[in-house]
Amino acid sequence: MSSAKAHAAPLTNTDDSNPAERSPLILGGAGFASVTNSVAHIVERKTPSGWLVLFAAALTGLLILAGSLGKLVYTGVGVWGLNDTVFWAWDITGFVFWIGIGHAGTLISAILFLFRQKWRTSINRAAEAMTIFAVMAAGIYPAFHVGRVWLLYWVFPVPNQMSLWPNFKSPLLWDVFAVSTYATVSILFWYVGLVPDLATLRDRATTRVRAVVLGIFAIGWRGSHRHWLNYEKAYLILAGLSTPLVLSVHTIVSFDFATSVIPGWHTTIFPPYFVAGAVFSGFAMVVTLMVIVRKAFGLENIVTLRHLENMNKIILTTGSIVGYAYAIEFFTAWYSGNNYERFTFINRAFGPYAWAYWTMVSCNVISPQLFWFKKIRTSIPAMFVLSIFVNIGMWFERFVIIVTSLHRDYLPTSWTYFRPTIWDISLFLGTFGLFFTAFLAFLRFLPAIAISEVKGVLPEADPHGHGHGDESDDAHDAEAAHA
Amino acid sequence: MKRLPLLYARDTSGKDYWRSLSERAGSPAFQESLLREFPDDASEPPAAFSRRGFLGILGATAALASMTGCRRPEEKILPYAHAPEEIVPGRPLHYATAFAFHGTAFGLLVESHGGRPTKIEGNPRHPESLGATGLYAQASVLDLYDPDRSQHPTEKGAARTWEEAAAFLGQLGAQLKARGGKGLAVIVDGQRSPTLAAALADLQRELPAAKVVRWEPFSRRNAREGARLAFGKPLDSVRDTAKAKVLVALDSDFLHAEGSHVKGARGFAEGRSDARVAPGKMNRLYAVESNFSVTGASADHRLRLQSRQIPAFAFALAAELGKQGLDLGDLTAAAGAKGKLSPEAAKWAASIAKDLLANKGASLVVLGDRQPAAAHAVVHLVNAALGNVGATVSHVAPFDDLADGATALVELAKSFGSAIDTVVVLGGNPVFDAPADAGFARALGAAKLSVHVATHVDETSAASTWHLNRAHFLESWGDVRAEDGTASIVQPLIAPLYDGKTEIEVVRALLGDRHKAYEAVRATWKKSFGVADDEKQWRRALHDGVIAGSALPREAVVASPSAVAAAVKALAAAPTDGFDVVFSADTHAWDGRFANNGWLQELPDPMHKVTWTNVALVSPATARDLGLSEALALELPPKAGEKTDLSKGTDAPAAEHIIVTVGGVQVELPVVVAPGLADKTVHVTVGQGRKVAGKVGTGVGVDVYPLRTSAALDVASGTVAKSATPARIARTQEHFQMEGRPLVREATLAEFVKDPDFAKKLVEAEDQGQMWPAFTYNGHKWGMAIDLNACLGCGVCVVACQAENNIPVVGPEGVLLSREMHWLRLDRYFEGTPDDPRSVTQPVTCQHCENAPCEQVCPVGATVHGVEGTNDMAYNRCIGTKYCGNNCPFKVRRFNYFNYQMDVPETHKMQFNPDVTVRARGVMEKCSFCIQRINEAKIGAHREQRERLRDAEVVTACQQSCPTSAIHFGDLNDASSKVSKVIESPRTYRLLEEINVRPRVHYLAKVRNPNPELETA
Repeated sequence: MSSAKAHAAPLTNTDDSNPAERSPLILGGAGFASVTNSVAHIVERKTPSGWLVLFAAALTGLLILAGSLGKLVYTGVGVWGLNDTVFWAWDITGFVFWIGIGHAGTLISAILFLFRQKWRTSINRAAEAMTIFAVMAAGIYPAFHVGRVWLLYWVFPVPNQMSLWPNFKSPLLWDVFAVSTYATVSILFWYVGLVPDLATLRDRATTRVRAVVLGIFAIGWRGSHRHWLNYEKAYLILAGLSTPLVLSVHTIVSFDFATSVIPGWHTTIFPPYFVAGAVFSGFAMVVTLMVIVRKAFGLENIVTLRHLENMNKIILTTGSIVGYAYAIEFFTAWYSGNNYERFTFINRAFGPYAWAYWTMVSCNVISPQLFWFKKIRTSIPAMFVLSIFVNIGMWFERFVIIVTSLHRDYLPTSWTYFRPTIWDISLFLGTFGLFFTAFLAFLRFLPAIAISEVKGVLPEADPHGHGHGDESDDAHDAEAAHA
Repeated sequence: MKRLPLLYARDTSGKDYWRSLSERAGSPAFQESLLREFPDDASEPPAAFSRRGFLGILGATAALASMTGCRRPEEKILPYAHAPEEIVPGRPLHYATAFAFHGTAFGLLVESHGGRPTKIEGNPRHPESLGATGLYAQASVLDLYDPDRSQHPTEKGAARTWEEAAAFLGQLGAQLKARGGKGLAVIVDGQRSPTLAAALADLQRELPAAKVVRWEPFSRRNAREGARLAFGKPLDSVRDTAKAKVLVALDSDFLHAEGSHVKGARGFAEGRSDARVAPGKMNRLYAVESNFSVTGASADHRLRLQSRQIPAFAFALAAELGKQGLDLGDLTAAAGAKGKLSPEAAKWAASIAKDLLANKGASLVVLGDRQPAAAHAVVHLVNAALGNVGATVSHVAPFDDLADGATALVELAKSFGSAIDTVVVLGGNPVFDAPADAGFARALGAAKLSVHVATHVDETSAASTWHLNRAHFLESWGDVRAEDGTASIVQPLIAPLYDGKTEIEVVRALLGDRHKAYEAVRATWKKSFGVADDEKQWRRALHDGVIAGSALPREAVVASPSAVAAAVKALAAAPTDGFDVVFSADTHAWDGRFANNGWLQELPDPMHKVTWTNVALVSPATARDLGLSEALALELPPKAGEKTDLSKGTDAPAAEHIIVTVGGVQVELPVVVAPGLADKTVHVTVGQGRKVAGKVGTGVGVDVYPLRTSAALDVASGTVAKSATPARIARTQEHFQMEGRPLVREATLAEFVKDPDFAKKLVEAEDQGQMWPAFTYNGHKWGMAIDLNACLGCGVCVVACQAENNIPVVGPEGVLLSREMHWLRLDRYFEGTPDDPRSVTQPVTCQHCENAPCEQVCPVGATVHGVEGTNDMAYNRCIGTKYCGNNCPFKVRRFNYFNYQMDVPETHKMQFNPDVTVRARGVMEKCSFCIQRINEAKIGAHREQRERLRDAEVVTACQQSCPTSAIHFGDLNDASSKVSKVIESPRTYRLLEEINVRPRVHYLAKVRNPNPELETA
């Protein structure tokens, strides 16, 4: 956007006809300075009115959240549509949904980092922020779905005089540890990555207050060689710490179901199935968000079509894994010879919740298959719609697992049908309010793209490069990263 | 200490008196000394705060501030300085009393905590209770504390004191006496109190012109009149089902809803107890009925037949018996002429007749109360001819000879305003439940003066001049005779909450006698006890709950077949067109009197699990004819070879209404398609739809009494049409099929003999081990066994559990959301074809699994394994994740979605069992195996220095109330305990054994005893 060239050929980096030659990750002939400018500009310019409108909408959602939680705590969990057969429905569905979304951020920042997937640099910051906000949204559900939220601290192993000690056999307790570890590591990882960029912003600050505040959070970053050395080590260690979390958190979440005795829950396939689903939904959410962000903030050259296409490929892969899992569940149910198990799966597909099951299958299995077509996976409108489909489908996946397994279990006399109330729906809307409020604030006040990392993948940053970036040949050293 | 100085207390009269010279001198030193309490140099508190003083006071303030937690009531309270004898704080006492109901009385033992009756148990010494209870007796304790009870007499709606009411009664009595009782009508309900009867006899003697009529919407009148035809005098039947090897129930729900059902059910269950499940020993029950009743579901053979055809079946049976050699005199021919049946039914009659003849003297034919007297006469004759009289059935004189029945009431109502100007209604609610053709409300308005005695202001009270608030039976003195005449003293457990009086006192007051009920009752029995032994026998009667030797003598009967034959000939043939509209009492409200009882309203009806309303029942074929939507039929078992249609929701389906028309009167009510019902029949229950009942009962359901006339009181002919009004029916169960799962296991006797272990073989349950070390039980190891052969599914246990364990009522909205709180539920399944299904029931409570899935998933350890094998809930510890509920394969856990007990009326709180925590919002709850009873027994044993409890020392609430003793509870570690013995039966199995949860509740598979002759058909 800073140059006319960018507008002329924005799609050139999705051509993979020649495997020997990779397309450039950053387009528009951006140099170090232009990357800094284009990212920092978003934070430094006057608040755009469009942002204010969106932020007002998100704050409305946040208020809905506050109202829904107020009503819930004041009146009781009975405001939801739960009954004495289906004790969990939209609450735990929402929890798993949001936790799953978070996984893309961690995968992008940790696993893709370890695998040296350079294309991650344009999207990792936003994806990590998304992770943190999604975990926040997720945390609301297990906290507030309990009958007596004021006693929630009893799930923590806090020494006390009441002879209370948590039951370490319970998967819910494992959840407590898994999710809190995940939240902690994600925040640390994100913050460590932010430090060089915060310093950049500090150095560009035009007011004293701004410089001081940013300076505090930049914890004295001066970009010295030693700083970079320590930073890279810390980043690598945190990436190493986060990597198992990508697998463990959703594995443990899946244990809530897998270790139970309920047909449809009691399934050994759940851990890999849940992780794949989480990555699937997370990437879909990143695509949804980045499509909007790159357009709104003019970052098409940094978050290029190639980034989006790569993500769509991951969506295609994980979507296929999820589809395979759905199929294999039916096989297992049949092969087990267990009538309860068989019934549960037949009931899923043909019972009263068939509409939910087939919504899930259409969104999660059929729709991502369209990404086999390059035209579709490089089409912004198509991928936007499909990513939303995937998000809808993944919400339904959790709903199908939780509700259809519970509503008809062993004894037919206790079979029921769950129906949400206005408060189920409002709380779910409210979590979106929380998520978007936080995400919009992030976009406004923090660099949404990892400036220093993007610079690292510019051709200029590569001493052995092939001279793509002809304009900035003089800026090969890392110091340039915070020009 | 500062005192008021004297100088301020100076005499102001003008003269100056002085007490000492120094005072007169008025020196400053003296002035100062006046302000001092103590002389100089005495040790005094510091004038100002010192540091230490400040800290001291600060500390004391803090300490005292926390003392506000020690609240003392502001009102004057008095300790039990002289405690009543036998009261030990915290220990309940039990008193014997009796509950009059439906032509008999149930002896009760009532548990009282600190003077508050809290729980009703059956009196084991009483012949009608045998230690168990019926539904209504069990729930009656809630009525005592009903905040809607009337609290004072009213005159034209205005509050009056009892003083004023008594003055009015005395005046009225004097006026009536002056005219010999002319113009007075007294209507009594189905009371059986000898003292009240004596009072009424006095009334009739002193006011000879007064008319006294008995009215009860459901009575045994037809059977009594049948006896008049068959034996020449009206008699009541007393049945002994235990002695009967072959039972035939014709349109009779004698195991559940008719008469002495507790006794009837107990005897029936004894005939199929474990020892008697053997060829030649097991009893056999045939049911021929229009509704699918509890009795029909328990029967070995069931034939559905319209109620209007039941007399014909009874006649055909008699004719068949006559044909097969039984001497029935003229009746054989007369009955043969009238007993025209379909070929299938005729075959049934032949087979049953054969079976009956093979079991002479050990058989019993029971005819439903709603059938006409002529049919009853035939059945009386058949029983007599089979030699059953004196063996399985005997006869006693009726309680009294008051005019009774619908016709008598209608006749009486006609004279209101003309011959009758004063109507006294003692109990009952005729404005609501009188036959429609009596036009009772209008008639009562025509009378100059009407007086109604009732516990609540109801429809009759609202239409009467005076309402007199009656005391509940748990707070008043009285007496009552059971079916066989056995008398019990009704003794109060508590002083009347609202200063109510009883009918005895009202009648006595009318006669100018202001003695209390106690004195009247005492006087009645003084006569029979004799002066010398009076006190001793009185005390014994109060203690035992029965008066020894008070049973009526059994009447010898002489059959008169020709009279019966004449009556049979005279009986009009059943109409062939139109619908049979069959009336019965509502499960929840009975004839309407229990409509304000939340426990009963929420108790699922035994067959269709409907709560909080009454419904019309129609058969599937009739539903199709009426064009009712298919969705209603989802509960029906699939036809043979068909799979269940899974897509049909198990959500409370949108139901429909139908319009039932009888004699031009229309009533619209919700409909349930009931498998097994006779075609062209609509079954309706009356008792709901109360207009003036109270906060709970007003407006619940639909009033069907307008359809009920004296001409066709119990079975009417009418038309039925579909209505456009949609309905929502709150049911606790929406799916009635077992889906091929081995839940209720069942075999015929022949199959059982061939393979006694059939129940165990239905699943392969190998021991799969467990992840955690197994529990060891050195002390007790509690276990339960439930005999499905005995369980009828009547629901008494559910109410007993609710009363014992402070279980809240959630209302119809709660039931519609499947949030009912019952710890114990009765699962009902149908099998076979929709038209002619069989049905089984299974009580499911917490199974107290050895390998409990709930225990492992609770993050805060709120549900844990007890040292004696129970699965315990620590309500205090529960934070309400509900994970345990999800992971319970039996779905017996109940969550407090709201603070259900928050708005409980103050009076209802008096009913709470102090030994059981009242659960607050946000915690899970479930059956505890009545852990409070276990602990109470253990404390008792500990005081007696016993290590272990004896067998049967702990009885759970459900077990205690069960009419058929289907539930056994005890120590599995004790090989000699009853429960250990019971589970040795080959029929024993456990639910869901295949998923390795190892339940602690055992079920004994059901064995039916079909007649091979009918089975092969």
